[in-house]
Amino acid sequence: MKRVSFKTLGCRLNQYETDSMVSEFHKAGYEIVDFGQPADICVVNTCTVTNQSDHKSRNIISQAASKNPGAMVVVTGCMADNYKQELESRDKVTYVVDNSRKASILPLIAAHNTGEILHPDQLPQNVFDYGAVSKSLHTRSAIKIQDGCDNFCTFCIIPKVRGRAVSRPIDEILNNVKQTLENGFKEIVVTGVNIGRYNYEGLTFIDVVKQILAIPGDFRVRISSLEPDGFSSDFFDLFEHPKLAPHLHLCLQSGSEKTLLQMRRMYNLDQYQEMVRQLRNKYPNFNISTDIIVGFPDESEEDFQHTLDAVASAQFSHVHTFKYSVRKGTRAERMENQIPEPIKTIRSEQVRLLSEENRLNYMRTFIGKEQRVLIEKVREDFVEGYGEHYLPVQIANSQLKKNTFVLVKITGITGEGEKLMMIGEPI
Amino acid sequence: MMDFKIDTNFYTVSQVRHLTEHAFVVQVPRRNFKFTAGQHLVLGMKDDYHTREYSIYSGENEEVLEVLVKEVEEGYLSPRLKQVKEGDSLEIHGPFGHFGIEEKKRDTHKHVFIASGSGIAPFRSMVKTYPELDYQLIHGVRTIDEGYERENYSTDRYVLCTSRDDNGDFKGRVTAYLHEQEFDKNTQFYLCGNSQMIFDVLELLKNKGFGRDSVSAEVYF
Ligand SMILES: Cc1cc2nc3c(=O)[nH]c(=O)nc-3n(C[C@H](O)[C@H](O)[C@H](O)COP(=O)(O)OP(=O)(O)OC[C@H]3O[C@@H](n4cnc5c(N)ncnc54)[C@H](O)[C@@H]3O)c2cc1C
Ligand code: SF4
Repeated sequence: MKRVSFKTLGCRLNQYETDSMVSEFHKAGYEIVDFGQPADICVVNTCTVTNQSDHKSRNIISQAASKNPGAMVVVTGCMADNYKQELESRDKVTYVVDNSRKASILPLIAAHNTGEILHPDQLPQNVFDYGAVSKSLHTRSAIKIQDGCDNFCTFCIIPKVRGRAVSRPIDEILNNVKQTLENGFKEIVVTGVNIGRYNYEGLTFIDVVKQILAIPGDFRVRISSLEPDGFSSDFFDLFEHPKLAPHLHLCLQSGSEKTLLQMRRMYNLDQYQEMVRQLRNKYPNFNISTDIIVGFPDESEEDFQHTLDAVASAQFSHVHTFKYSVRKGTRAERMENQIPEPIKTIRSEQVRLLSEENRLNYMRTFIGKEQRVLIEKVREDFVEGYGEHYLPVQIANSQLKKNTFVLVKITGITGEGEKLMMIGEPI
Repeated sequence: MMDFKIDTNFYTVSQVRHLTEHAFVVQVPRRNFKFTAGQHLVLGMKDDYHTREYSIYSGENEEVLEVLVKEVEEGYLSPRLKQVKEGDSLEIHGPFGHFGIEEKKRDTHKHVFIASGSGIAPFRSMVKTYPELDYQLIHGVRTIDEGYERENYSTDRYVLCTSRDDNGDFKGRVTAYLHEQEFDKNTQFYLCGNSQMIFDVLELLKNKGFGRDSVSAEVYF
């Protein structure tokens, strides 16, 4: 039996695509081994969103090759699109498969094993040809509803590597969800590159979420990262549904109007804050997390202060802070006044500290309240999982099983910094 | 089995109109390229991976597809595009973007277009596409010759604001012109061009009581 290992870098969408490949390989009779274990085939699903992701991806590719001499190394993901020629010229890389053909890696390898050498460019292109996840290391499974983006934010390479926005047919989405639930998953995450722009034969993102929520069964739905533009007020009503988790990762990127315009973001701070206000008015404990880019070209101290103010006022439970890094081929690459690295580092640290303070304050509001936790990890003395608000909860009870829901009362908080965790007692 | 596909992204230039020393219109046959007025395309020269975005200058129903380009002398693509001649091949992808007139507001609202320099391009597409539109176009440029193909707009709807000469309809920046104007409550504003102009106009409109819900913006740089 051939052994195959997978390594994923980057976003939830990539993770979903790997999980789906894992399931397909498993069904086809391959043995799935952890990355790092000896394998005959190593699939590296790369990311190129920042310089750091490029660096990590390159490292992982080298590791895959050096730890498994003679193994087939298949590189896919966004870096494969962005640096195709460079990767193809590496001796140790067997195949470079671009994103749009990623779903065909299994037939590519099957053909290779029977002696038929295909060029990856001959594989069919289909960004939605992913089956439901059955075998995964996770308790929640993503559902891909959309791919690509046409927004052309000036810092972002995604429109170049993932291509233009396309929406998955609704029937395929619903079948995928049903199959995933049948495979035992209790939580699904609605995923894509710019899911808010879903549009398939007149159906919008709101319609998709409504139809997924209408599927019977005891499961929970989460919305992954969302761009804060183009929403009507009925979007907020969606969260009245008990199956929809009260959490949104709404990408703000900057609190400065000037910077938001230079980034070509489609909203301004007022609109963003209005969304936050509406959500919190309707659902007081609603969890909002965000992405912030610090050190975007021309970002002044004043611009950065606006970002800090915005982070403080929105009380995000988590801020994913990125130091701006130049992506080749983007408009921001050609902008003047690039910010020196040391300043980016200081700004990033300031956001991190503020974010940690916010997170602690936010968690404190849950003490004495209930959470329905989906158990993800079972340790010797305790179990861990996430409540509906997407905050981690630790429960001192080893009897509870992975992938089950348990209702708990939050009694305290443990850990510090990024590792803060709530403590729950089963009710 | 190899799948052969004819690459449909290459277009042959059918006309180039030089409007000033630095501004020109590149035209290709539209073929079956479908778009809505306000959207942009991504353009590149043959055998060159550098691409740039350009708003579509022609109307939705025209048989040609046009872009208006203002040369940035120190730039990469625009000086090269300026050399393009009839019969040359260009690579075009698209359409992209969400800039445009919301269908449900088209006939019920007044539309005020505010452009700087080549930012007039998407508005020409809108005016060509919807001849009945109740619009006003305020165009900020430096000198009168940059009032690109102004004969496309009826004189009572077009205001040319020139900041460096007084041959336009208004001497000064668009912000100075807007400052003096009053607008109906049911006005939708559309801003296109450089981010500094858009920033200033957004502030000004906010002070006049028009928030971002009544304004859309397309930032070029
Ligand atoms: C959505 C979108 C639509 C666009 N539509 C148009 C259009 O219809 N017509 C058009 O001429 N340009 C348009 N642009 C700008 C265009 O994409 C190019 O940036 C421009 O042609 C310069 O390209 P370049 O390679 O020569 O220089 P670049 O290397 O791209 O730019 C060099 C510098 O020139 C400045 N600059 C960029 N564009 C302009 C401009 N138009 N006028 C003055 N200075 C500029 C910027 O400061 C930039 O950093 C659009 C941009 C976007 C994002
Ligand atoms: S919305 Fe902007 S940041 Fe998000 S994928 Fe699209 S271009 Fe990138």
